[in-house]
Amino acid sequence: MEATIEIRDLTKRFGKVVALDQLSLTIGQGEFLVLLGPSGCGKTTLLRSLAGLETPDEGEISIRENVVFSAPRGISVAPGDRQVGMVFQSYALWPHMKVKDNIGFGLRVKKIPSQEVEARVTTVLDDMAMEGLGERYPSQLSGGQQQRVALARLLATRPPVFLMDEPLSNLDARLRIDMRSELKRLHHDTGATTVYVTHDQSEAMTMASVVVVMNEGRIQQMAPPDEIYRQPANIFVAGFIGMPRINLMAAQTLDDGRARFEGGDFTLPAPGAPPNAKVFVGARPEDVLLSLEPMDDAVEFQVYAVLPAGPETIVQIRRGDVTLFARETGQLGLVMDQSVWVRFDPSAINIYDEASGELVAPEGKRPQDANFQLADGGGAV
Amino acid sequence: MSHSAMELDHRRSALIERWRNRTRARATSPQFLVSIALLAVLVYLVLVPLAQLIWRTFSWGEGDRRLSRSAVEGEITGFHWTEAFTGPSANAMLFEPLANSLITGLFAAVFALLLGGVLAWVVTRTDMPGTNWMRPLLIIPYVVPSFAIALAWETLFKSPRIGGSPGLYESVLGFGPPEWLAYGPVPIIITMTIHYFPFAFLLICGALASLDSQLEECAEIQGASRWTILRKITFPIIAPAFAAAAILTFGKTIGTFALPFLLGQPVQYATLATRLFSSLNQGLTALGYILALVLIAITALAVYGGSRALGGNLNRFETIGGKGFKGQPTRLRNWRWPIFATTAVVALVVAVFPLLLLAYQTVMLVDGYYGFDNLTLHYWFGESNPDLAEGEPGLVHNEVILGATWITLKLAFISASLCSLVGLVIGYIVVRGRGGWIAKLLDQISFAPFLFPAIAFAAMYLSLFAEQRGPIPALYGTFTLLVLISVVNRLPYGVRTGAAAVTQIGRELEEAAEIQGASWMRRFREIILPLATSGLVAGMLVSFVGVMRELSLIILLITPSTRVLMTVGFRYAEEDQVQLGNALILLVTVLTLAGQYLVWRLGKGRLARLRERSI
Repeated sequence: MEATIEIRDLTKRFGKVVALDQLSLTIGQGEFLVLLGPSGCGKTTLLRSLAGLETPDEGEISIRENVVFSAPRGISVAPGDRQVGMVFQSYALWPHMKVKDNIGFGLRVKKIPSQEVEARVTTVLDDMAMEGLGERYPSQLSGGQQQRVALARLLATRPPVFLMDEPLSNLDARLRIDMRSELKRLHHDTGATTVYVTHDQSEAMTMASVVVVMNEGRIQQMAPPDEIYRQPANIFVAGFIGMPRINLMAAQTLDDGRARFEGGDFTLPAPGAPPNAKVFVGARPEDVLLSLEPMDDAVEFQVYAVLPAGPETIVQIRRGDVTLFARETGQLGLVMDQSVWVRFDPSAINIYDEASGELVAPEGKRPQDANFQLADGGGAV
Repeated sequence: MSHSAMELDHRRSALIERWRNRTRARATSPQFLVSIALLAVLVYLVLVPLAQLIWRTFSWGEGDRRLSRSAVEGEITGFHWTEAFTGPSANAMLFEPLANSLITGLFAAVFALLLGGVLAWVVTRTDMPGTNWMRPLLIIPYVVPSFAIALAWETLFKSPRIGGSPGLYESVLGFGPPEWLAYGPVPIIITMTIHYFPFAFLLICGALASLDSQLEECAEIQGASRWTILRKITFPIIAPAFAAAAILTFGKTIGTFALPFLLGQPVQYATLATRLFSSLNQGLTALGYILALVLIAITALAVYGGSRALGGNLNRFETIGGKGFKGQPTRLRNWRWPIFATTAVVALVVAVFPLLLLAYQTVMLVDGYYGFDNLTLHYWFGESNPDLAEGEPGLVHNEVILGATWITLKLAFISASLCSLVGLVIGYIVVRGRGGWIAKLLDQISFAPFLFPAIAFAAMYLSLFAEQRGPIPALYGTFTLLVLISVVNRLPYGVRTGAAAVTQIGRELEEAAEIQGASWMRRFREIILPLATSGLVAGMLVSFVGVMRELSLIILLITPSTRVLMTVGFRYAEEDQVQLGNALILLVTVLTLAGQYLVWRLGKGRLARLRERSI
């Protein structure tokens, strides 16, 4: 895929804090790339550096073949000349300007004749299903409408790259779901390369074509949403993605392809794991299979709590010091302290090296995409 | 070269490179250029005058041959300081005024604080009735020119034994008041208290309004008595604000000029401020400047020392707080009406009575004779009459007064506008400058005038602008100089207001424009300026009122062609043309009250709502 945005060795420090740590990233044309991570991971700093609102200390950025920032060459193109549009978390609508003036601002700055500005504003308003709202002030609009004005303002100048900084976080839960579809549709219709920052993983999963999980200024994993979920590249990604959290169990692999779990007195198959190693075994709650009857290769656990949630039920189970979450479809007739027999779906579990935290099995599942590299040379697998 | 040395070298050059790139990017930005230009102007208007003032006290100046035969103009000497501190007249010229300033300043500050504090508590945190109309009433003594209160005092207590016609006291009682009540420290302290208590009142109201009443309610639920709550909860929480108010009030009282001059001069009771004025009038320039420096030192010591003692949290100062009071007021129960009556009487006595007294006096044909046959409107509407007031026509026909009114309004308007605009730009740089060195310097220097008592500040400008210096012409006697000093004097307030306005404007609003390619100038003009306007207009009106009633700042710099209302009024008061002087003060009072009313309306009106929306 043709690259729209190239980021090389970008570093940004705020005093002693390293917000971006030699980060490199290539974003393909037409991608919907979501930057995901806990607060303070550097995702917003990265987005703002792309926009030119933040000046990094080292590295280079090019957007559509133009170098817009280069520390070694002393280049820093002004935000207005980077061919990007941005939607802010607060929408940043100018309260003293009418909706149409908000939308037309960028066009007026570019000295486009006022008649054309008028026409384009009207078109954009129509496109966003906001006919007739042009004469209002932002404060006279609902939260959802304000969000649309912010998008309309982005669309008016037709930038080839969209930058979005948690644009949905100020909406109430229902509206947020609706707007996800709208944004996906918008991306489809415009084909604009989109970089989208969020800390909400379900937002990332539902909207992204590519998810970049960040922590401490570095990229932890870059992959399509499903891969991020199924094969988290390391313990951080595994623990960060998924609700309830992935079950991560400290274990010691044995010679016979099985693993002995710490804090419990049982072994289970650990396919593909290196023998005699300290590892973490990761199993998503839905990959923890419960049975009411004893069966081969299943271990007896006790039910600690049952948390029904409509279409599914989360069951917390215990054996010794080991506590696991299991996700079961539908309503189960489980009661507290009852015995259940537990297996893991062998095709779904991931095994991580205890020391490095990197994925070691299943082998070969690790994304070999050359488009990104871990800053610490994490290609050790 | 070893590996690690190479590494180090590489790192160093990378650092230098980064610094160079950043500097280059910054040095060409309009924001940087504006900052540097402002910094240069401020240094010239704030620091250079101070340096010039200090220099003058260490060198021989023009006319100093009178003081010593060895004086050679321009040469360095320690004579002035030695003379001021150890000379034969050191007591009369320096130490007595210093003691008097400290005594009147401290007492007035303490009383103002007590009065303002109690009233603030009653008005903001109890269920006393009538707080709506009482609050604006209690501000009036601070809004009116300070010497209106001095004139009212004189009207009440003056006595032919000291000079002039009898006051109301003597006319009613048939015998004169004791001298200590008419002139000297006692009336100075009382009138200063009346003038400055609203200042403390406003500061403490602000602190009390932001106090969460749940803290008090929680103590009440646990069974604490009202007195215990006040003592153990309320006061400790607002104590820092209270202390800050104390320091700021003292900073004001110590440098006051007009009040001690009018009520102290007749009995030769001098403070630093009045002695400074008379020294300069007598051509004792160096001595006057030394007094100015002593005054500045005391103020700076109080403000910085106080700020240190409070852990650097002086909060600078607050203008009129706009925060609404949330929470439950304390119930006064049986005390409700007695406290209301007392407060109402105080409000009327300090706010309304002095103005009524002045107003009544302006319609007396012969001053001091309180009878119906003595009533006249001559001093307001009369044509010139050689038998009356030395031929001075009444207010509406008086060329001097009308000219001064025009100059006053012009001065107040231009200064207030300039101050707000410059304050906004500096406030913007301070807020958005993220603690860069330019931002910090601008912040510090623009705050410095707060430490200069007005009359000392005027002395500084007198010394700097008396003659041409390089490309800057001698501005003494020009309208421009009055504008300059008024703007710089009010700049601490202007910058605070501007910074507060910018703080309210989300950073993203500006970045959204930046992304769309709007230049800094354009962003400032189309985003910052319109959004800051409502906040600025209120600040501008406060400045407008402040400049209009300012006397001590400009009295040293005024010439007949640039007379303003306050200086004309001051001259009438000095010349014992009481009716005209009072009429003029009332004119200023009406103008300032009108301005204050607009400020108040703005704080409540449409603009304020618009401002809240934009946060």
